[in-house]
Amino acid sequence: MLAGRKIRMRAPWAALGLLAFLAAPLAAQNRALPPSPPAPSFSDVTDEAGRTVRVPQPVRRIISLAPSLTETIYELGAQDRLVADTDYCDYPDAARGKPKVGGALNPSIEQIAALHPDLVLLTRDLNRYETVLALEQLDIPVYAVDPRTVEQMISSSKRLAEILGVAEAGRSLGEDLEKRLENLRTRLAGLPARRVLFVVWSDPLISAGQKTFIADALRRAGALSIVESEQDWPQLSLEEVVRLHPEFIVFAAAHAQNAEKEFTALSARPVWREMEAVKNRKIVVVSEAVNRPAPRMVAAIEDLARQLHPEAFPPDEKKSPAAPPPARLANSSGLGGAS
Amino acid sequence: MKPLTLRSLLIRCGILAAVLFVSVFIALKLGAVPVSLYGLGRDLVRVALGYSSDLSTDYRLIVFDIRMPRILLAIFVGASLSVAGASFQALLRNPLADPYVLGVSSGSAVGAILALIAAQHMDLPPLAAGLLTPLGAFLGGMATIAAVYFLGRREGQIESGTLLLAGIICVSFLSGIITFLLNTLSLRDRGGMSFWLLGELGTPLPASLRWVLVIGFFAAAAAIYTTASDLNLLLSGEQEAMHLGVDIDRVRLVVYIGASILTGLAVSVSGAIGFVGLLVPHIMRVIFGPDHRILLPTAALGGAIVLVLADALARTVVAPTEIPVGAVTAIVGAPLFSYVLRRRTA
Repeated sequence: MLAGRKIRMRAPWAALGLLAFLAAPLAAQNRALPPSPPAPSFSDVTDEAGRTVRVPQPVRRIISLAPSLTETIYELGAQDRLVADTDYCDYPDAARGKPKVGGALNPSIEQIAALHPDLVLLTRDLNRYETVLALEQLDIPVYAVDPRTVEQMISSSKRLAEILGVAEAGRSLGEDLEKRLENLRTRLAGLPARRVLFVVWSDPLISAGQKTFIADALRRAGALSIVESEQDWPQLSLEEVVRLHPEFIVFAAAHAQNAEKEFTALSARPVWREMEAVKNRKIVVVSEAVNRPAPRMVAAIEDLARQLHPEAFPPDEKKSPAAPPPARLANSSGLGGAS
Repeated sequence: MKPLTLRSLLIRCGILAAVLFVSVFIALKLGAVPVSLYGLGRDLVRVALGYSSDLSTDYRLIVFDIRMPRILLAIFVGASLSVAGASFQALLRNPLADPYVLGVSSGSAVGAILALIAAQHMDLPPLAAGLLTPLGAFLGGMATIAAVYFLGRREGQIESGTLLLAGIICVSFLSGIITFLLNTLSLRDRGGMSFWLLGELGTPLPASLRWVLVIGFFAAAAAIYTTASDLNLLLSGEQEAMHLGVDIDRVRLVVYIGASILTGLAVSVSGAIGFVGLLVPHIMRVIFGPDHRILLPTAALGGAIVLVLADALARTVVAPTEIPVGAVTAIVGAPLFSYVLRRRTA
């Protein structure tokens, strides 16, 4: 024990010395700035999270970290500069073929860095703040959007168009969308809003709160979400649904068959079976585009309005001048998918 | 217990340090973006010789600015969890104890979430805000280990089974609290939180937190190390150790606070990563014996090695998407845990 006692005084220092040796690089890891390729010029813009972003001009290489942004880029005709997107970017079809940097929540930072983007686009709603921090540390410009209404989605797209140097495309896109929404407003004027339950997720039942863009989209389609929640994506108890008793149940699905299956499953459950909307098959299926704050959403809104208020769309008038009706993939339930 | 010489300690640590070095090299090589072995070796030599300006931009960016900080984080988190695990195992005289099993990680997570919520309502300078999360995590961890210790005691003695059950009770209680807290937050923050809860190393640390982690680790590990000989005597029982002149209360206080600091630091930067604190000390005990003067430093190195390799896996199995490293340690760790458990009871 004597020898042990003597060593006891020295051993901690030896161990500490070894660990200090290991620690040195971490402490010294004050971020080394990667030498960024010389860009001709920069413009400082404020993004929708209030951050100031120094964007190289022109923006040649874009990475999108959200399906809605990928759609918007295609809509603006800037897809040639989109060097990569996420695993979830499935619209339009060509977006599937772009190189992937992983999921929206957990992309590979090194994969992003290796592609040398001029600008990374992400949304406050879907992506994580940690991703922003990681990219900022590497001096990769990150622009965040945060549309909370249909109106903001349009202005957000226009602003994005300006930053990407396609302001003209943004303006005409915005004008088109606004005209279509205005047209819809005129048609639906004076009609009572349908009380709907929007199903974000059926098990557990999750709907959309009043502050989401989905609630706004429903309002523009002449519907009112029955959920009066402060939360964005509240989980609803069945009692609450029965108490609020919706006129229509709205599903958003990529394929009408999926929604059909979901509805069949729901209507087999004990309490659901008894609900008026279920008994009378008052269900409406819209394109899942309604879930994404991108230009395509307006087509989904038009489709929803058609299904909820057929009286506002007389059959003789197949096409409204500004807005071609979305292609119908399923006959009665009507799945809207804009092309 | 065999007398310990500085030489034998250094040799053992040296071997592990070499293994750690190799693990770091492997982890630097692996990732979503392919990096050639030759290029990596050449660049490491360049950095070592001080010619870092000769590196190609891509290598520097990916290997040294992205992978290296993450690997260093893994080293410190792994070492912290492992030392905390070894300490709890000694103090509670239970080789199945570890921060995760005892609920200390969950307690730290609750503390960290509460601190994050509080920080939103307070106008703090960035430095103070950065310190708030580790502080919350530390306090949460302390409160939990106190509760587990209290619940796990029977007639003044700690009983192995009761202690583990107390840990399970605390974990379920705390995960209920976590679910409640996350459901009252908006989805916007929740997406990130659920990732962090599973344990991940992808989040870059602000500079202030980096220093808190390094200094906190060394301070807490050194404090625990001063009790190493007493922990050896504790192996034969609290009463016996007391008769041999160990100041049980002081040791208990130092080790609880030290291990809670280590757990709190690890959880606040990387969420709850399980099984590292449990298995690494156990493996080290099998290899190097139960002497805590050797066990504590070797466990620190071993924890670092394990987590560096686990994170390399987490980054590469489904690249470019990353999975939380906590999932990797759980998938690999749980079967090993059951093996240890069966061997013990057999």
